Amino acid sequence: MALDRRGFLKFIGGATAGILATPVVWKSLDDVSIWTQNWSWIPRNIDGANSYVPTVSKLCPSGVGVRVRLVDGRPVRVLTNNDHPLGGGLSSIAAAEVQLLYSPSRMKRPLKRTADGAYVGITWEEAETMLVEGLKKAKGGDKLAVITGDETGTINELFTALAAEMGSKSCFLMPGEAQPAAKAWELMGGEGQVGYDIEKSDYVLAIGANVLETWGPVIRNRRAFKAGRPHGETPSVRFAYAGPVQNNTAAGADVWLPIRPGAETVLALGLANLLIKAGASSPAADFADFKALAAKFTPEQVAAQTGVDAKRLAAVAQELAKAKRPLVIAGSEFGQGGGAAPVLAGLALNALLGSMNREGGIRALPYARKVVPAAMDRKALLQNDLVGWLGKVASGKAAAPQAIVFYEANPVYALPQTDAMKATLAKVPFKVAFTSFLDETAMACDLVLPVPMGLERFDDVDTPYGSGQVVYALAVPALAPLVDARPAGDVVIGIAKKLGADLGVAAFADALKAKAEARGASFTEPSATNAHVSSAVLPVNGIALRADVLSKAIDVKAPAFPVALAPVAKLNVGTSKTATPPFNTKTVRRWEIQGADLYVMMNGATAAKLGLQKHDRIELSNPAGKFTARVNLFEGVINDTVAVPAGHGHTAFDEFSKGKGENVMRLLAAGAEPGTGLSVWNSAGVNIAKA
Amino acid sequence: MSSFKEFKIKWGMAIDLDKCTGCGACMVACQAENNIAPQPDASNKLKSLNWLVVYELTNGKPFPEHEVAYLPRPCMQCGKPSCVSVCPVIATDKNEEGGIVSQVYPRCIGCRYCMASCPYHARYFNWFDPTWPEGMDKTLTPDVSVRPRGVVEKCSFCHHRFMQAKDKARVEGRDPNALNDGDYVTSCTEACPNGAIVFGDVNNPAHKVHDLVKGKYAFRLLERLGTDPQVYYISRREWVRRLGDNYLENEKVKG
Repeated sequence: MALDRRGFLKFIGGATAGILATPVVWKSLDDVSIWTQNWSWIPRNIDGANSYVPTVSKLCPSGVGVRVRLVDGRPVRVLTNNDHPLGGGLSSIAAAEVQLLYSPSRMKRPLKRTADGAYVGITWEEAETMLVEGLKKAKGGDKLAVITGDETGTINELFTALAAEMGSKSCFLMPGEAQPAAKAWELMGGEGQVGYDIEKSDYVLAIGANVLETWGPVIRNRRAFKAGRPHGETPSVRFAYAGPVQNNTAAGADVWLPIRPGAETVLALGLANLLIKAGASSPAADFADFKALAAKFTPEQVAAQTGVDAKRLAAVAQELAKAKRPLVIAGSEFGQGGGAAPVLAGLALNALLGSMNREGGIRALPYARKVVPAAMDRKALLQNDLVGWLGKVASGKAAAPQAIVFYEANPVYALPQTDAMKATLAKVPFKVAFTSFLDETAMACDLVLPVPMGLERFDDVDTPYGSGQVVYALAVPALAPLVDARPAGDVVIGIAKKLGADLGVAAFADALKAKAEARGASFTEPSATNAHVSSAVLPVNGIALRADVLSKAIDVKAPAFPVALAPVAKLNVGTSKTATPPFNTKTVRRWEIQGADLYVMMNGATAAKLGLQKHDRIELSNPAGKFTARVNLFEGVINDTVAVPAGHGHTAFDEFSKGKGENVMRLLAAGAEPGTGLSVWNSAGVNIAKA
Repeated sequence: MSSFKEFKIKWGMAIDLDKCTGCGACMVACQAENNIAPQPDASNKLKSLNWLVVYELTNGKPFPEHEVAYLPRPCMQCGKPSCVSVCPVIATDKNEEGGIVSQVYPRCIGCRYCMASCPYHARYFNWFDPTWPEGMDKTLTPDVSVRPRGVVEKCSFCHHRFMQAKDKARVEGRDPNALNDGDYVTSCTEACPNGAIVFGDVNNPAHKVHDLVKGKYAFRLLERLGTDPQVYYISRREWVRRLGDNYLENEKVKG
């Protein structure tokens, strides 16, 4: 049947009338109007009564003193605690600590790895049985190793005591600034823990040490910085920073001395030479040797070795000499692997400046006595070199342990030569992690035990390295654990009992009480800080400058690579234990991470030399490892050096950090520092090719 | 331009850029205080939402003469806000003693005229509903409402803290319009360990910020546009002050 014009119009008309007569149109219109206004659920805030708990952050390496704000018992904010000796502001990690309680990577229950590599949840009873069985096989003769990521807590005494009861001395701290400093101070003949009285200094020279971002109790350092610099006025405290990258510390400092990565010792000796020429001296018995060594480091020599401008060097030496209470703080620009020599040379500079044992200078702080009888004290623990030991295990010079316990440590991600270290750790038959987050190390363990986070547990911070005075800060729980976690201290005490050992303390709380007493602190009264400060210092006598050690340590031939590598550490990307907290992704700079790409920095001259432009994709490689990245031009990097942001490239954790960027630790190769034997990994180089 | 009210109290900031080291603690403290949702990927800075952003400044010179500085940028709470005059629904207004530019989320229709008119990029649009990882919404503070998709938001100088400070003063029998220095500070001011931000009443001689904003090195961003911001910056470095406005090459910089 043919459809003529009239028929067609009839059909259309009829169809239109028919459709309009049905409810379809009206119902659809109604639905559309509802749908467009049908807003999805978004969270509502719930009101309640405020309460505040003063505590200290165990999550942030700065050990910052904080107040936790709770609303009807729900934690909502970490706030500044200005009364706390380690407080005075927030670090970008501590500011996000409450939110991290609900991190998607948080461990919620004990996990064990099954034969096919998957993790399944188990009960605490099963977990403890498995742990006891695993540890039984590691009795006697250093068959058990302990790696702890907590530099300041009494918890280490329980873990090391357990190891001692099992016949092992293989207990290690994760690498940091404290170990090289303890070594240097010991070599000089100093007693106790070396302390830096930044608060009372009027001139702070930081060599390598990233004092305004990662070094020591940073928030307390920065409070001193704040006090010495009234708004818009000429600062009463001058800060100078020497390092390869214009990092956050350099941004705040009055003077930036660009030096090549790993050149801290040479720079310090160059300054020592200028100071000695200007009349500085020291009563040290080996001063003559030191003077002779320093004399070799003429400004020209220092300029050739470190890349520093001779005039700038002389200006800093003059400022140091003129200052009333100068203080030199030396360390590694990324907080680890710098060796003892830079700290030794830095302390020698302090000796030349008369800064030993005086206000605004270097202090010797007593260690607290240990409270668990069988434990290793902090001094002994600091002497054990984790990277060195793993190197020996890898090469077969030391036997691989039967079992290894990790406490809040993430060595699989955070050690230099990451790939090799991971392979070495894989040799250990039984691995256990006590951790709050399912990190890279936990993902390599047979058993993973959740610990309450710092805001959910009793814990302590005892005089972090860098502090100028003895500080004992108690962490008190602001809330009960949100997950099925148990305090590691109590788990260890229970496990020891099952293994037939008595650690001498009935509960972790008793150990904390005893430690507080040992520090002369009492927390019986309500306090606004839960912290105790003591003015106790040890005498500083007969300090040696150790030219013998320094002369050996600086006699290293840098590996021949076209470009030197300078890792850049910042707290906003979290630590190896936390990865980037959810609230911190926005603080990562635009040309630092783009999607999954890491941007590395170099100055224009270096880029031109390598034929590179901004955004070019490059491959960084050396024998330790390789990865690709993109180029960001930043003129605050010394020539022939590539600055690589640290703390990225996680292979575990969650959508906020996993798979973003690359882990710079993979490119760092550890060697031994001549003269001290300490492991060092701060003078790496890389080949760069367009990818 | 329409005329704007003058206020007896004018909350303002003096941010010393020589003290800011760019750590980002203020940005995190701001998000936590004001219930801003986290973003798994914040690498596209045009799509990331943060009331306070720390910008990196450079003196533009090659190594080794290069210098770097960081500039935290909240809402400037302009005395003559260009956003207010373009808002068709009075969702943003400058009408309250204290001089804080308001943002009324239930009124906002999402036209984004204010974003186009703000010369400081201080305003953000919610393209999507905010989401928190499971359970993290329990950490929301009770003080600031959560914004749905389709509205514009911006820094409020932690206005809820202003209200709380006034309430406290009333309870203690003090005049809520004569708060002491430090009674009311923003979350970023409190969090900054370097003390780079000083917050207070610019009109009150008893407040520290009153003298600071009159200092030799104080300047405001794009001052010559006439927006009259209540956020002042301080830097002893000429090149930093030069970046605060569009100066001609040989023009003398303020301070």
